This record gives sequence, C-alpha cells and structure tokens, in this order.
Amino acid sequence: MAEVCSPLRLPLIAGRKQPAAVTEDVCRPMLRPPSILWWAGFALAFSLLLMGVAAVGYQIATGVGVWGLNTTVGWAFDITNFVFWVGIGHAGTLISAILFLFRQKWRTSVNRSAEAMTLFAVMCAGIFPIIHTGRPWLAFWLFPYPNFRGPLWINFRSPLAWDAFAISTYFLISAVFWYIGLIPDLATIRDRLKPGLRQRLFAIFSLGWNGSYRVWRHYEVLYLLLAGLATPLVVSVHTIVSWDFATSVIPGWHATIFPPYFVAGAIFSGIAMVLTLMLVARKTMGLEDYITQRHVDAMCKLLLLTSGIVALAYATEFFTALYSGNPYEQFVFMNRAKGPFAWAYWTMVGCNVLIPQLLWFERVRRRLVIVFLLSLFINVGMWFERFVIIVTSLHRDFLPANWSGYTPTIYEIATLLGSFGLFFTCFLIFCRVLPVIAMGEVKAVLSHGNGKGGHA
Amino acid sequence: MNRRVLIGIFDSEDDILAATDAARRRGLVIVDVFAPYAVHGLDKAMGLARSKLPWVCFLLGLFGAAFKVWFEYWTTASDWPINVGGKPWNSLPAFVPITFEVMVLFAGLSTVVAFFGMNRLWPGRKADLLDPRVTNDRFALVLEEDDAAFDVDEVKTFLWSHNALRVEERELEVAR
Amino acid sequence: MENQYWRSLAEREQPAAQELEFDGPGNSRRDFLKAAGFVLAGTALSGCARAPVEKAIPHLDQPGGVIAGRAQFYASTCGACPAGCGLLAKVRDGRPIKLEGNPDQAISRGASCAVGQASLLGLYDSLRLKQPLAHGKPAAWEQVDREIAARLAEIRKAGGAVRYLSGTITSPTKLEMIGRFLAQFSDARHVMYDALSVSAILDAHEQTHGARILPHYRFAAADVIASFDADFLGTWISPVEFARDYASRRLPPEMSWHVQFEGRMSVTGSKADLRVKAAPDEILGRLERLAERIEANDPAGDELAARLLRARGRSLVVCGLNDLAAQVLTNHINHLLGNYGATLDIERPSLQRRGNDRALADLLAELQAGRVAALFIDGVNPAAELPAAPALDRAKLVVSFAGSVDETSQHAHYICPDHHYLESWADAEPVRGLISFTQPTIRPLNRTRAVIESLAVWVGQPASAYELIREHWKDRIDWDRALEKGCAEVNVAAQAPRWMGAKLQRRAPAAEGYTAVLYPAVGMLDGRHAGNPWLHELPDPITKTVWDNCALLSPKTAAALGVRDGDVVRIEGGVAVELPAVVQPGQHDRVIAVALGYGRKASERFANIGPRWTGSKPTVNENGRVGVNASPLLALEGGLLRYERCGVMIATTGRRIELASTQAHHTLSVPTHLAPPDGKVRPIIREITPEELGKPPEHAEHHEELWPDDHPYTGHRWGMAVDLNACTGCSACVIACQAENNTPVVGKDEMRRRRGMHWIRIDRYYSGPPDDVRVAHQPMMCQQCDHAPCETVCPTLATVHSDEGLNQQVYNRCVGTRYCANNCPYKARRFNWFNYPSNDKLANLVLNPDVTVRSRGVMEKCTFCVQRIQEAKIEAKRLGVPLKDGDIRVACEQSCPADAIVFGDLNDPNSRASRLAQDARQYRVLEELNVRPAVHYLKVIRNRNGKGGQDHG
Repeated sequence: MAEVCSPLRLPLIAGRKQPAAVTEDVCRPMLRPPSILWWAGFALAFSLLLMGVAAVGYQIATGVGVWGLNTTVGWAFDITNFVFWVGIGHAGTLISAILFLFRQKWRTSVNRSAEAMTLFAVMCAGIFPIIHTGRPWLAFWLFPYPNFRGPLWINFRSPLAWDAFAISTYFLISAVFWYIGLIPDLATIRDRLKPGLRQRLFAIFSLGWNGSYRVWRHYEVLYLLLAGLATPLVVSVHTIVSWDFATSVIPGWHATIFPPYFVAGAIFSGIAMVLTLMLVARKTMGLEDYITQRHVDAMCKLLLLTSGIVALAYATEFFTALYSGNPYEQFVFMNRAKGPFAWAYWTMVGCNVLIPQLLWFERVRRRLVIVFLLSLFINVGMWFERFVIIVTSLHRDFLPANWSGYTPTIYEIATLLGSFGLFFTCFLIFCRVLPVIAMGEVKAVLSHGNGKGGHA
Repeated sequence: MNRRVLIGIFDSEDDILAATDAARRRGLVIVDVFAPYAVHGLDKAMGLARSKLPWVCFLLGLFGAAFKVWFEYWTTASDWPINVGGKPWNSLPAFVPITFEVMVLFAGLSTVVAFFGMNRLWPGRKADLLDPRVTNDRFALVLEEDDAAFDVDEVKTFLWSHNALRVEERELEVAR
Repeated sequence: MENQYWRSLAEREQPAAQELEFDGPGNSRRDFLKAAGFVLAGTALSGCARAPVEKAIPHLDQPGGVIAGRAQFYASTCGACPAGCGLLAKVRDGRPIKLEGNPDQAISRGASCAVGQASLLGLYDSLRLKQPLAHGKPAAWEQVDREIAARLAEIRKAGGAVRYLSGTITSPTKLEMIGRFLAQFSDARHVMYDALSVSAILDAHEQTHGARILPHYRFAAADVIASFDADFLGTWISPVEFARDYASRRLPPEMSWHVQFEGRMSVTGSKADLRVKAAPDEILGRLERLAERIEANDPAGDELAARLLRARGRSLVVCGLNDLAAQVLTNHINHLLGNYGATLDIERPSLQRRGNDRALADLLAELQAGRVAALFIDGVNPAAELPAAPALDRAKLVVSFAGSVDETSQHAHYICPDHHYLESWADAEPVRGLISFTQPTIRPLNRTRAVIESLAVWVGQPASAYELIREHWKDRIDWDRALEKGCAEVNVAAQAPRWMGAKLQRRAPAAEGYTAVLYPAVGMLDGRHAGNPWLHELPDPITKTVWDNCALLSPKTAAALGVRDGDVVRIEGGVAVELPAVVQPGQHDRVIAVALGYGRKASERFANIGPRWTGSKPTVNENGRVGVNASPLLALEGGLLRYERCGVMIATTGRRIELASTQAHHTLSVPTHLAPPDGKVRPIIREITPEELGKPPEHAEHHEELWPDDHPYTGHRWGMAVDLNACTGCSACVIACQAENNTPVVGKDEMRRRRGMHWIRIDRYYSGPPDDVRVAHQPMMCQQCDHAPCETVCPTLATVHSDEGLNQQVYNRCVGTRYCANNCPYKARRFNWFNYPSNDKLANLVLNPDVTVRSRGVMEKCTFCVQRIQEAKIEAKRLGVPLKDGDIRVACEQSCPADAIVFGDLNDPNSRASRLAQDARQYRVLEELNVRPAVHYLKVIRNRNGKGGQDHG
C-alpha cells in the first residue's frame, strides 16, 4: 500500500534523523540519571498517592459512610472518578488503534506514551468500582465463577456486570497491545545496554527478538488484528459505561443519546490528557523533534471536533427533555442549569464548549503554553460533566420528599487526588524505564515529508 | 542444521528492498532478512505467503462469542432461573454486551498466544543476532549457499552492487 | 444485672426472693418446680430463662408455658400514657419483643400509637434502677422499708402532713391502696396532676354538671366536629381511640365534616375539612360568637353554626385549651346542641385524665411553706414538667417511685423503683366500667417493686400485686376470661349528672404581640419517654424534624424576623428560652409553637449514640441534652396549668443549630424558577371530592408488554392498599416497623445527612395558598414492584423477585453497589453506611429473632414483613387449612389507628386489599413508569363543602 507524500507536507519527524539517531534520542533520557524536575514530580505524585491510600484505607475500615453520600445520592465522587478515568484511557487506544487503521503516520511519536496512559488510567478507573461498594472485599462476586452456593451466578442483565467485563477486557487487551508494540524496542535497547541486571531484564522481556522478517511479517498482521479489535472495544467500553446510567429509570440518566455522547466525551478528555502529558514530556525529555507542531496541531483539531460533538450532546439533551413533555425529565435539566448545582453545570459548559473554541485559531494552536492550559481546562470540564450527570440527576428525582443535597467529605477529595497520584507515579516511572517513543515505528516513517518521498 | 550462508549488511531501507527483490528474481534462496523495523513491501520482496493469524483470531473470537451466549443463557434461564425485575428468562438483548467483550478477549489473547507460538518467542530466549546493530539501524540479507548453481563471487558482486556495507560468509544455525 | 439476667442458674439460688414479688411465701413447692422449670428452659433455650409468670393466661386458647421459637401473645394494657389502650404483648422465648393492639379492648380496638409501640424499648433500658436507692446509694428493700417505716411512724406521731403526688391513676386497685396507705395519717392527701393537663374540662363540668368529670367523647357518632385547638388525633387525651372513631366516619356518604381552629399546625388540623387559623386568645371570642348563634338558633351566615344546628345531637364541639371560660362555653354549646348523652358520654365518663391543677397549686404552696412532712412522688416528674421546680428540699421525707434517676427523683431521699408495666400486674379503668388488665410478660429484670406492693408493705400488710388486684376484683369479674381477653366490663350503677347551667364570664379581648404555644409532640408527649431513642428519631408528623424541639414560626413571622430553619431564637416572657427556629406553613402569625418534653436529663445518654468517625457530630446540643425544656414557659395561674403565654418577645441570637429533618422540600410543586413549561404539580398525591366519587374512575394508563411475561403469579400475590384519606400521619406504623424489623437508630448527625434507616416513612406535602395550607400524609415504603428497577441493575442477584410478588433483598449476597437505591424511583431502600453500634446487651433483647440484623455495607428495605407471611403460611400448612385474608397482618398495618394500611393477597378477589385495589379512589404512585408497584394508594377526599355528610344533614 504505497502512499505518496507531497514534499510540501511538514515532516513528521523534524531534523532529518537517521535511525541510529532515533535510537540515540529516545534512549538518552532513559540511560542518564533522573533530573531534579523528575524527582520533584515524582515526590509530589507519590505523596498524593500515599494520601489516597490512607483515605481509602480509612474508608474501607470504617464504612462508605465517611463519604458525603446519602439515601438519595448513592453515587457521587466515586463513580464520577471512575467514568472520568475510563474516558482518559480512551485516547490512548484511539491514537494507537484507530489512527493506525486510518494510517495516520503522525501517531507513531505519541502512541507509545498514549497507550501507557491508557493502561494507567484504566488502573485508576478500575479501583473505584471496587472501593465504592459497601463490602469491597466481596467485590469479586461481580464475576461468575463456579461456587458452592448453588452455584449462584450473576445477573447478566445488570450494566454493572457488563462494566466488570468491559473494564477487565479493556485493560487486558490494552496491556497486550502495548506490550506487543514494545517488543522490538525492548530488543533495540537490550542490544545497546552494557551487560547487567537491566540488560538481562530487557533480554527476558524482548523474548529473543532478532528482527527476523519472517517474524516481522506475522508481527505486522498481529498488530493490525489487535488494532482492529481494540477499535470496536474502545467504543463498546464507554458505551457500556454510559449504559450504567442509560438503562436506569432516573430522569437525566435514562437517555438513548448517552453512548455516542459518552464515547465522544471520553475521546475529548483523553486527547486533552495526552496533550497535557506530551507537552510536558516534550519539554522535559527534549523530544521536540518527535512531538512536533504538527502533532499538537492534529490533536488540537481532534479536540475541536470532539468538543463540538459534546456540545451537540448537551444541546440535544435539553431539547429532548423539553420536547418529551415529561415533567420529571424537564425538571432535571432546568435543575441542572439553574438549581443548586448550576455552578458545576456552567463550569462544565465553559470548559468543554466555550474555551475549546479558541482552537479554531491557528495562532492559539501554535502557542503551546496556551494549548497546555486549554488541555487542563478540558480535563477539569470533563470531570465536572460526569459529576453533573450523576449528582444533579440523583439529588432531585421523582418524589420531592426525597430531595437532598450533596457535599463531598475530605475522604472523597483525598481519594480523587490519590488517583491522580497513582496515575502520575506510574507515568513518571514509565518515562524512566521504557522508551516513551515507539522507535521501531518512528524509524519506519522517518522519510515521510522529508522530500525523499515514499518508498516503492 | 548447519548451512553455509552469505550475508549482506545494508544500512538503508531502499537498498535492502531492492537487494531482496533482485535476489528473489535471480532465484537465490533467501534464508531470511533482518530489519530493525517493519519495512513495507519486504514480505512481497521475499515472496512470503500471507500470515495465518487472521484465521486464529476469527475462529477463537467466534468460539468466545458462542460460548458466552450459551453460558449466559444457561446460567440465567436454565441452571438457576431467577425472576429479576419481571424480565423474561432469556433476556438475549441484555446478554449482547458481555458476549461482545468476551469475543474480543478471546480473539485478542488467542491471536497473541498463537503469534508467540508460531515464532517460538518466549521470555528469556537467547537472541541470535547477525549484527549487533540489526535491531538499531542495520539490515541483513541472508542467502543460502548450499546450491550447485550458487556462485559466491557473483552473488557478492550482486550484493555490492546494491551498496551493501559488508558481505560475509558464515556457518549458520538457522531457525526456520 | 445483664449478667444475672443471662444466668438462669443464679435464679434457682434465690427463687423465693424472686417469687415473693408474685405469690408470697405461700406456695414454695410450686416455686421450686417453677424455678426448676426455668432452669430447664434456660438450659434448653440459651438466654431465655425468664418465661412469663404462669398465672398469666395467653390471649389465644393455648396452654401456657413456653414453646421454643413460638411466639405467644399476652393481653395487657399500655402503660405509656394514661389513655389505657389495650395491647397484646408478643412474647418469644420468654421475652416480649413486640406490642400489638388488642382488638378485644374497647379503647384502642387493635390499634396502638408510636409512643405505645416504643414503650417496649423502655423495658430493656439499661439505665433503669437495678434496686432501690437510699439517699442516692443502692440499698436493699428491707433496709429501705425499715427506714421509711420508721420515718413514717415519727410523722404519724407528729401528725405531719403526708402528700401523695401522682399523675392520673386509672388503676382502681392502686387508688384503693393509696387510700388505705394515706388513711394511716391524720393529714394526708392524694394529689393528681397531668403534665398535659385538661383540668379545665373537669372544672368546667363541676360547674356545669356538678361533677368533676371528663366526658367520654364519641367522635364516631359526630356528623359535624368542631375542634378548638384540640389535637385529638395526635396527642389529646386518648388519640388512638379518637383516631379510630374519627377515621370510621371519613368516607362518604357518612362522611363527617370537621373544622379545626388552631394556632399551630397539628396532626388534627392537617386532616380537617376546614382549618381556621386562630391564636389561643382568639379562640374564646370565637366560642362566644358561636355560642350566641347557637343560642339564637340563627347561623347568621356562619357555616359552622349552620352545620351544627343542622346536626343537633350528632355534632361534637371540643376545646383543647386548659381554660375554664372556654371549657364552660364548650359545655354550654354542646348542651344547647343536645350532644350530651350522644357524642359526649358523662354517664360512663373517661377517667384518662383526672389531674387537678388547683390541688397541685395548693400542694406547691404547702411545699414552699415547708408544711409538707412526707411527699410521695409516683409517675410524674414535677421538677421538669412544671414551670418551676417544687421546693422538694423543704419536705422532711421525699420518696419517689421513679424507675430511674430523673430531675425530680434525684432530690428524693428514697427511690423505690416501680416495675416497667410489662413486668407487673396491674389493672386500669380508662373509662368508667371498662376494666383493662396488665399481665407481666417477663419476670422483673431488676430488683424493682410494684408501687402497690411497696404501699402494702408500708401499710403493714405485705401482699403481691397479683393478690391485691385479684382480691380487688374477686367476685366482680370472671378473672380467667378477663385476663385472656385483657379487659372486662363491670356495670356501674351510675346515672348521668344533670345540666346545672353555665355562668359564662367575659374575658379580655385578644392580646397583642406573640403568643407562645407549648404543645406535646406526637413522639415525646410530656417527656416521660425522653430516654427512648426510637421516639427521638421518629420524624415529627408535621415538621419532619428529629432529635430536637424547635420554635415553630409562621412564614410571615419568620420573614419579618429574618430567620431561617435552624437559626436559634430567644423567646422572652418573664423567662427566656433559646431554641432553633423552624418555619411552619399554616401557622398563625402571632403564634410561636414549642414542643414540650425535650431537654430532659434522660436524654443525656444520647451523647454518644450513632456511628463515631472523624466527621461525626454529637446528637445532643450544647446543654448535653436533646432539645430544650420549654416547661419554664408554662404558667400555673388561676389554678390551671396554662400552655399558652401571651405577649412574649422573640429575638434572634445569631447562633445556628444544624437541624436534622427527613424532608427538605415540602410541596409537590417544584421551585418556580425550575418549573417545567406546563408547570403541572406532580401527581404523587391525588385528591378527589365526594362529588367526583360517583363518577367512573379514570382508568390507569395501560402499558404494552415489551417482552414475554415469563412470571405469572399463580399462588399468592402480596399487595397493599394505603388510604391517604385515612392516614393522619401519627407515625405509629413507623415505630411498629422499627420494632418488628430491627432497624437501627442512627443518631442526629446521620439523620442530618439524610441517612435515616426507617423502612416506612411518611412523606408530608403542603399544598394550597399560604393562608389556607392543606396537608397530605403519604406512607411510603418499598412498593414491591413487579418490574422492579432495583432488581434489574443488581449485578450480584442480591435483590430478586419471589413468585408471590415480593421484592426480596438477600443481605448476605449484597456487596453494596447502591445501584438499586439510585434506581429506585421511590428511594425506599436504605443502606447500612456503617456498622451501627449495638453494644447495649440489654437493649439488644428487644431485637426480633425472626429478622436478621443487617451488617455494614448492605442494602435493606421494607420486606412486607416477610417473616410474618412465612409464619402464617407455615401455621396454615400445619393446621392444613388455607390461608385466610387477615391471617397475615404486617406490623405497620396492625398498629394503624386509622386502619389506613391494608395488606393482603391481590390474587384473592375477596381480600380487602384486592377490593381496595379496585376502589374508585385507587391509584399507584408513578405508575406511568410501568414499574408496576404492588402498593395501591387511595386518593385523599377533600370535603370542603361537606357534601360527604350533607345528604342526611
């Protein structure tokens, strides 16, 4: 499948690199001792993680009562965080799988770290369904394993059961996909390391890869297949997450628009997170030549697109509610926009709809600092989107006698921060011990846009 | 088994492609080509058949889906039927999501396992490298010599003509 | 004491001592057998050593004695207040675990109230005195008796004044005993007073009928009811009886017409057809005007007068003010209308309130002057209940019979603790000629002694309560039959006192400024149960607040003062009281209503109730108690306890108290700025007028089946009908459910966080314009939906549907995702946020062994009392007879005085439940969701123009 690249196109990789140089650039940060900056970041992330561990420990020891929930609002921060992190994860799969299928070569310099991000995000997400239960030590009951209670199976009609399967499948497939992509790079590093423990470890995990093309051939097919599987998977996962709400009877949850709305939102937030991380990594690890203006530009455009979809979803929700003539439905949305949680709603709209519009201007897209700030805003906005959906729908439902409010306790906030701690701790370690850029893939696209044209 | 092979080391994607293609046309037996990254078209140049992995993926995916549908039906409607929210015993639509997830899981994992199996990749396996830089930026074309019609010098010049960096003969333990 | 309770062998060592309390030394052989029996029972059933006394006779015709795991019902009489409702105490393995109304007893006719239900917990109160106290120190009965006898001898010699101060005593035996006791002294008097006094009614009848009597009101016979500030459905005299009578007349065509004049919003006012806001000081004027019109036999355009005149002899005017003039007027009106003998029975008057405030005033004066030598205090707590604590320290000898150390008994020289009523033999005569008996359902947990036994000892003729009572009724009733039924009729040759005319005196016109109205809260009454956590956590039927008493202000007044719910206000009127304010729609603008019975010593125990964690707040206020005692605002003037204080000032203090309330939004219409375009009110509560009743019911919307119906209900199909028209919000069902289903008490902080655990709650909604607020009460519990949304979403199959239509919760399978609760449109599910502490071993004895105590992290909810369903089914199977309608009565249904809740088999076309489910008033809440609830509601009937009663008016 030859493709012609016009010389006019910006080069994917700047500075006319040779393959050896790529290896050099990518491995350099791994081989030199960590910088002060890295240590600072790690210290912060790790202390957040510890705080989260303490909060969760106390909660599990004492009871879910230490959260601000009540009889009417049974979910809040817990499930908000869950949906938020799952969403973050999706960008990784999008970039590595979907863009791969669309032969978007620019993905090569970001897909490795995007996939890593997916893994860590799904890890964070996976914690919440477990700890939000009243008896976390029994959470494994969500899986249908043979037992001596009949055997008593599970309720395959429950979206939570679907969730359990979706999330675990998603984690496994993402992990495998990521590892497969790593193998050739592990071999590359193995072959340039001096003998020692590290070298031995890389030797073990590179599975004796020697670049034989008889293997490369299968490898290419395998990668394509996994990408082909991961693509519908990522869509299904967030669809199922949205069904946690859509299949209920609660006004504001019971909406057929949810699956596309959630998937778009997930990709939106994910890309934002990728940008946040990439822009930092780029600066701190000196990868300006690999993560170029062109990558940032492309991702900004994706943001613009998904922001548009999300905005449309917000509008459609209101329209369907008002059009439905269902007073409960109508009330929920009036209550979102003007009720006690209006501040959260408008934060969401501001961050997810208004602010991203700046990306229409190339001048903005070129100013990486601004792009970085934008990505942060979008992360905040998308967290609030989930919070709004969950809390505002629950706190005032059918019977006015049940109406209540919700305020988080320190334990919920600590748990949220803790999940960020876990995420960044993992990511920082990843930056140190593994190639953040898929060397094998970048080498394959070095020639792109470098005047030389494609290959026969 | 031990075979005498002639190895050409190249440093450019285009050269290895050309050399491989030419070698095949000349009827030389290409033992293998080693490359640091997937060079598109190289499989055609080597004249390799299409991979069988898609079949593994398809069949096990199918099996996973079928198994799961059956399992969900069996547990919910047959093994221990329980009235849940007045829903019918066989709530097929509700079974779809998990069925899909399990299908993907089976297809994905089985394909990976098959890949490792058919290429004999396992943790800690010793890597036999033709050149320390073959995983970095070098390409190696390995031709078989055990052939009456094989003229070493002619082939060497042929390789040189495709601007090989280095050409050497070796006794090689080849894994096929 | 718990230890001794648990050790059955320990009892064998002192059976005589134990038995003395019951049958004296006479039959020691039987004692030995009995003790041996207990040991057997004790060893057989661990911890069930205390079988009820053998002489108690089970209500059903079964042989006595205990059958393991089998409950027995003993007819008894409620001792929680003087109303004397009949009870059946459910005794399981030797301990009472639930109180039910006794259908054979004429006062309650099978119903009970929240306080009565909760009084069971008082039996297992670990703070009750374990033995008598002499000068604050534990002592043996022998010593106490010796010392008291000695002191009394002195006093007798010196001719000192002996006073016996008690609440209303309805027990003839006890009255006789007190008489015998006081007869020993030259200057002795028995003074009765009621903390919730109706003394004025008796005084008024003394004036108008020449006899100090309280009429027995018959609301069932009244077509027109005019109540002037009498909360007869909530707390007034005999609410259960009145609610039953009242409810029996609230359906067309016989529907009565009820007008309520009141300053605060009472439960009774919430049910009135016409409710008129009137401050207490305006009521006299209204009565006068009404009296004039009735005298003139000319309504002069007054609807009430017209209706009353039309319903001569079929109407009833009652007045709740403890004011002589008002009561004389009331009698006058009733007399003119010829209601005496019809709706007011004075031939067989009520004895449920006999307090004489004037006598009380005299006694207090005597005490003040130090003219009282010996004071005996029985069943009252004057130090907390009266405007000012009596000068007890000036009496030479103060003996209290209080069961625990309270504000009064702490000053007593001797405390001779009385039994809890469930431990003792007693009789009661709530209404002349109706004798109701109390049988012990468990042997006394502590070394307490019945008052009449104490008196008998001090008279010098020791006898057991059993003997005394039996002796008293010797040849007047069939003892065994009476005990079995729980009550008996004795004919009293009484003839009604005749009308002697009323001298009406004018009183000052309506006062200016605010009037403080002190009222008994439905749960707390006069505060005698202030140590009962169930009652503190019971939401007030109107305000819905828990664990606090508040200053209720009308919205206008609150706005004028600029106070919101929870702002602490200062009520000044001679004395000052500071309470959190609560805005109460429908209240008179000049009225500040404050509940009595709070801020008691007994509530200090709640300092540490509820789960403790870093974020939890205490249940008690700064004063270390629950609420504030408002008694200082009372006044004892003109020989009457006054429950309203005119001309008080109110001021804000700037402080706030975070109130706990179970309801935050009080109407069915959503806030205007959030209202949907069509602006319709949510059809959760539906109303209907008597006229509309004739019309065919609008048929419920029909839903197409989306899937094959695999679950036909072939056998039973349990369902419920709740009559919103009958429900008064009295909340008896809430406590009954709590007692039956072991739902925990969580404390104020958890309630404030909206985490109450009651399985049945009563939603209260206001409607109508602010000057004519209408109230509807809606009991809300799990609706047992056929298409239960909770079940579909539970991943672990922890909540599923039974083939009899029950929505079952499987506690041990629940992991606590709370998805079911989120998806419940009625929010009827309750989550165990913590492990709720239950380390009070004694209090745990109240737990119903048939119901699991839920652990932390699991979901729970109303089960339709599945344990009762199973029990009845097993029993029916054992007897080989089919289950009859009414065999199963769920806890809430059983206790309901208004008979508003009916449980039954919807597959049985003749069951009451299924007939009500076909009623013209039937509707189901949120049925448009197609969740198919099994609970059917019956619409409220709004009888504003009184058609209901008019077709024969």
